[in-house]
Amino acid sequence: MSAPLALGVLAGAVLSGTSLLYATLGETIVERGGIVNLGLEGILLVGASVGFALAASTGSAWLGLVGAALAGGLANLLFGWLVVSRKANQLASGLAMMFFGIGVSALVGGPFVGAVIKGLPKWRPSFLAALPWVKATTLFNYDILIWLAVPVALLVWWALFKTRWGLGLRAVGESPAAAFAAGRDPSVIQYQGLFAGGVLGGLAGAHLSLSLTLTWAEGMTAGRGFIAIALVIFSKWHPLRAIVGALVFGGAEALQLELQARGADVSPFLLDMIPYVLTLLVLLAWGGARRLAAPAGLGRTFYGSD
Amino acid sequence: MSGDRRSAARRIPPAVLNAGRYGGIVIIVLAVFGGILLAAGKNPIKAYADTFTYTLANAYGFSELLVRMTPILLTAVAVAIPSRLGLINVGGEGQFYLGAWLASAGALGFPHLPAWVLLPILTLLGFIGGALWAAIPGILRARKLVNETISTLLLNYVAPLIVSYFIFGPWRSPESSAYPQSPAFPATARLPSFFNTRIHAGLLIALAALLLYWFLMEKTRWGLQMRSIGGNQEASQRLGIPVAAWIVIALAIGGGMAGLAGMGEVSGIHGRLRQGLSPGYGFTGFLISWLAGGRPLGILFMAFVFAIITSAGDILQITQGLPYSVINILLALLLFVFVARRPAQRIAR
Amino acid sequence: MSKKLGFVSLLVLLFCLAAAPWLAADAPKLIIGAIYVGSVNDYGYNRSFHDALLTVEKSLPGVKLLEAENVPESAEAERVMEGMIQQGAKLIFATSFGHQEPAFNVAKRHPDVYFEHAGGWMMAPNFGNYFGNTQAAWYPMGVAAGKMTKTNKLGFVIGIPIGFAVGNVNAFELGARSVNPNATTTVVVTGGWSDKAKEAAAANALLDQGCDVLAMHVDSPATVIQTAEARGAMSIGFQSIEARVLAPKGWITGLGFNWAPYFTEIAKSVIAGTFKPSSTHLGLGEGMVVMAPFGPSVPPSVRSIVTEAADRIAKGFNPFTGPITDNTGVVQIKAGESWGGDKMGDFKWYVQGVIGKVQ
Repeated sequence: MSAPLALGVLAGAVLSGTSLLYATLGETIVERGGIVNLGLEGILLVGASVGFALAASTGSAWLGLVGAALAGGLANLLFGWLVVSRKANQLASGLAMMFFGIGVSALVGGPFVGAVIKGLPKWRPSFLAALPWVKATTLFNYDILIWLAVPVALLVWWALFKTRWGLGLRAVGESPAAAFAAGRDPSVIQYQGLFAGGVLGGLAGAHLSLSLTLTWAEGMTAGRGFIAIALVIFSKWHPLRAIVGALVFGGAEALQLELQARGADVSPFLLDMIPYVLTLLVLLAWGGARRLAAPAGLGRTFYGSD
Repeated sequence: MSGDRRSAARRIPPAVLNAGRYGGIVIIVLAVFGGILLAAGKNPIKAYADTFTYTLANAYGFSELLVRMTPILLTAVAVAIPSRLGLINVGGEGQFYLGAWLASAGALGFPHLPAWVLLPILTLLGFIGGALWAAIPGILRARKLVNETISTLLLNYVAPLIVSYFIFGPWRSPESSAYPQSPAFPATARLPSFFNTRIHAGLLIALAALLLYWFLMEKTRWGLQMRSIGGNQEASQRLGIPVAAWIVIALAIGGGMAGLAGMGEVSGIHGRLRQGLSPGYGFTGFLISWLAGGRPLGILFMAFVFAIITSAGDILQITQGLPYSVINILLALLLFVFVARRPAQRIAR
Repeated sequence: MSKKLGFVSLLVLLFCLAAAPWLAADAPKLIIGAIYVGSVNDYGYNRSFHDALLTVEKSLPGVKLLEAENVPESAEAERVMEGMIQQGAKLIFATSFGHQEPAFNVAKRHPDVYFEHAGGWMMAPNFGNYFGNTQAAWYPMGVAAGKMTKTNKLGFVIGIPIGFAVGNVNAFELGARSVNPNATTTVVVTGGWSDKAKEAAAANALLDQGCDVLAMHVDSPATVIQTAEARGAMSIGFQSIEARVLAPKGWITGLGFNWAPYFTEIAKSVIAGTFKPSSTHLGLGEGMVVMAPFGPSVPPSVRSIVTEAADRIAKGFNPFTGPITDNTGVVQIKAGESWGGDKMGDFKWYVQGVIGKVQ
């Protein structure tokens, strides 16, 4: 039987949206600490290529997953060294990280193009598998990253808003000078936030190569890093709203394909514009109110005591 | 001890110091990348020797360096001009595509005009296309609605989709309906090329833009005014300066520069509108402008370095079997090393 | 600080110098350059050319092969080809459609170097083109799918809706309908020849719709095949018959290219100095397009029907013989007419039974 349009779009949205959600959560943590990483695309590529390379050479997708997470974390630490320790301009450093990620991922993934891997295993709870409308789609037949997507979002929310660490990170993001004056070293906590963010970014990339496509190809993230940066703003730097945002953006891609599969006459290009235009419109709608939502110190370099 | 060093530095003319600083960076970067090549099992000496042979020591290679420099000079200026007001333009990609798109509209729409009329029109259209695309974020920023970093970034993705829509739809070439691209431009819409190479008049446009940028910023009242506004927008506002108008104009002119780059590529190199015209020229321009500190000579030098590095990518692929994309590591290293030398001072740039 | 860095870099440079090996090589008789739009390990389009060129390299003595992957279809391609010529290449294979103009421009500058372009139409004294006629060959693929499907819903993923791809879909549906009047083919377009994530999403969308056989016209069939295999559906491959290893259970059959005989002929002519430009388009009958072995799940009765259909095509049967109506009811090919090889790029409509619209 064939699934109704809404279910098909939902199923597609979950698949596409998972890596978007992880990337958005990672960038949210980083930006809550006052740092913008425009090079998120590079982090995703590093995660995807390292994950795939490890899975292809060792035969274990799990090892690939762990490797991807670590590689993402390390890459973000490199970015952190540039912007926190060397106090470089965040935007330029971010773009440099993007170039870096494109190059490193090509180098790491190159020898493994075309390798066939066993991807991450999928589970579907049996009581759901019996339902015909579930069986016809990919619903609830998910790998660990998808199953953990919402729990991780909750975890990030809890960490940011219910722990002292999160409070400290957000304080640094609002005003590093105040945090510094209160006796905390902003750089330590920013580094921690960057590592956590990088791990999530690496996982986001790994989901593409280890589960969705089971391949590696140069540039396969196709701009997801930038969509995630838009999503962070779209969800007002809030991890739980990011879930909705990821579903909406992931759904836009799925909608276009499902509509085609039903013979509708849609221009794929006009539909592809939707996530970006939507983000701009949402930003417009908030107008000045948005500025209250962003961490006040976002993007500004803190020079310490000079 | 430090006093001696400072007085020694004072005796060396700043131009030589700058050359030494840039040269030092390049050497360190080449060494680090050489190490990476070695780790990947490749021969860095041969790689660098081949690069030299096929770029600087070779007429075709050298001409291709200039071809590569043409668009990135313009996209660097596209970032540098708004940066004088403290504005951040990461939208070079999108502005490039809009300039290419509008110029294509002109090329396809006026097939009967002679070249000496059509080419200036196309140049204007390219500028307008990029300027309009950057003016949107400009207006949003002037009205304090959306930060221009975000809006220029988002529009980067919409512009190539507009181009794709047109070449798959209204502008689909009938002769090669098998392939999505616009019809070939008439010869009157093609920028002339020189010396039987691919160097085209776009290079002259780029150099003129760079010269104009230098002149405006260093030698006119507006340039100095821009810098003071950029230093403190609120104070300027209170003094009655129409900061909002400045913001829109600065972004629009910057965008126009990127649009000129698009027009140059589409008219001077490709001869038609197609997908994938920009392999990241907008972002490359941002890095170049930033590394050069917005200085015109620095932009020229950095664009040259980037052109050599990207040429090396081709050589590495053919002679060493490395994926072309690996060259991006080298580009990133340029910034890493630049930044690693000393932490940015608060006053810098 | 900078002094130390400078010293270290000097050491690194010296180390590299010491480690540089010196290679001596015999001069080859012919250096062939090949540029690919993607990776040669794609189980698909690029692999087909790569495999053929490796065969040429092995079978002809003194032939050296230079390859460049991920060469974009833009001005960049010219530089890569020029680089290969500077390395001594005398025969260049530009393997992607979009490499045509760049290759032609380079050919104009180097009249002593020979060029073969895949899929185009331009010619010059040193420039020829070739391709395989795939459209008619998709007819027996449709027959196979029509016989194997249980839901009567077939899915087709296309990269870019060019006339040739649309023609492939049409032949596929015509073949399916010839053995199964209820078979429909749903078409989804990803917008690019090689976007893996979109191909996975497209395949999933088709499977959600109930399709149980997936076919494709993208550069690499791997993602669509693997997605189908993971969800228990069947697949028909394209571009390279090596793709069958990706679907041990669900593989039905597929189409691939065998360029090796043609390439060998061209290489020999360049070595002998007798190169003559030509526009060579051969199909199933001549062996440029080949059918893959059947998968283990295909019963003998189906195999014989499909093989018989393929034989008919090889002997000249043209599935595009009128009357043929498109899926909006308009008669596109009248009774008594037929569309030959030269019209295969002109398809702007889908036949009856195809769900989709040509953009």
